[in-house]
Amino acid sequence: MKCSTRLAPADFDPAQELEAFLREADDAGGVVSFVGVARPRSRVGEAVSGLFLDHHPRLTLQSLDDVAAGAARRFDLTAIRIVHRFGDIAPRAPIVFVAAASAHRRAAFEAADFMMDRLKTDAVFWKREQGVDGARWVEPTDADRADRARWSD
Amino acid sequence: VKIICYGRLGEAIGRETELDAPAAGLTLATLREWLAQRHPHAADELAGPFVRACVGDRIVGEDHRVAADETVEFFPPLSGG
Repeated sequence: MKCSTRLAPADFDPAQELEAFLREADDAGGVVSFVGVARPRSRVGEAVSGLFLDHHPRLTLQSLDDVAAGAARRFDLTAIRIVHRFGDIAPRAPIVFVAAASAHRRAAFEAADFMMDRLKTDAVFWKREQGVDGARWVEPTDADRADRARWSD
Repeated sequence: VKIICYGRLGEAIGRETELDAPAAGLTLATLREWLAQRHPHAADELAGPFVRACVGDRIVGEDHRVAADETVEFFPPLSGG
């Protein structure tokens, strides 16, 4: 199993990540990737001028590793990649890239879904949305917690 | 004691701050009270159950005795990725 997790301090190119992942996962029968993008609007519909993701110098990467390890244990995968931004992020810029490769497609689809649900609640980040009328720190919603609960420990 | 705060708390009281602790150290609960007195605008959050404290990258309880040369990190609730 090839597993790579990385924190990106600046914009990254999801197409390049996928290309590199496909090269790495050359023995797979299926590859599923997901890109999370900074929304231009908040949950209540207000324009967001930027996001700031605060992170911890050690535990944030550790939390990405834990999510990847959870997927590796649960699904029959040949490769995993997680790339996650921190710092200042412009609207419409990629925040997260997740990819899973497996011999057959189902495991890759499910692993990508699983990793995103875990990242939404367990990744060590503190998110601040900059809106037109000030900044707001964001916490996981009940929907995020329900998504996480879809996968038992 | 060196104190590092993240997220909302880091903004409210600063990323890094130091407090002079007694040579015998102090409990985490006492450290929270000291911090709350110095930063009244963050007092409610510091006293609440949702801000966790880490020493050596591990979450510690309120009765943890913080040594004078230790670093305590305060985590508000995570936002997730």
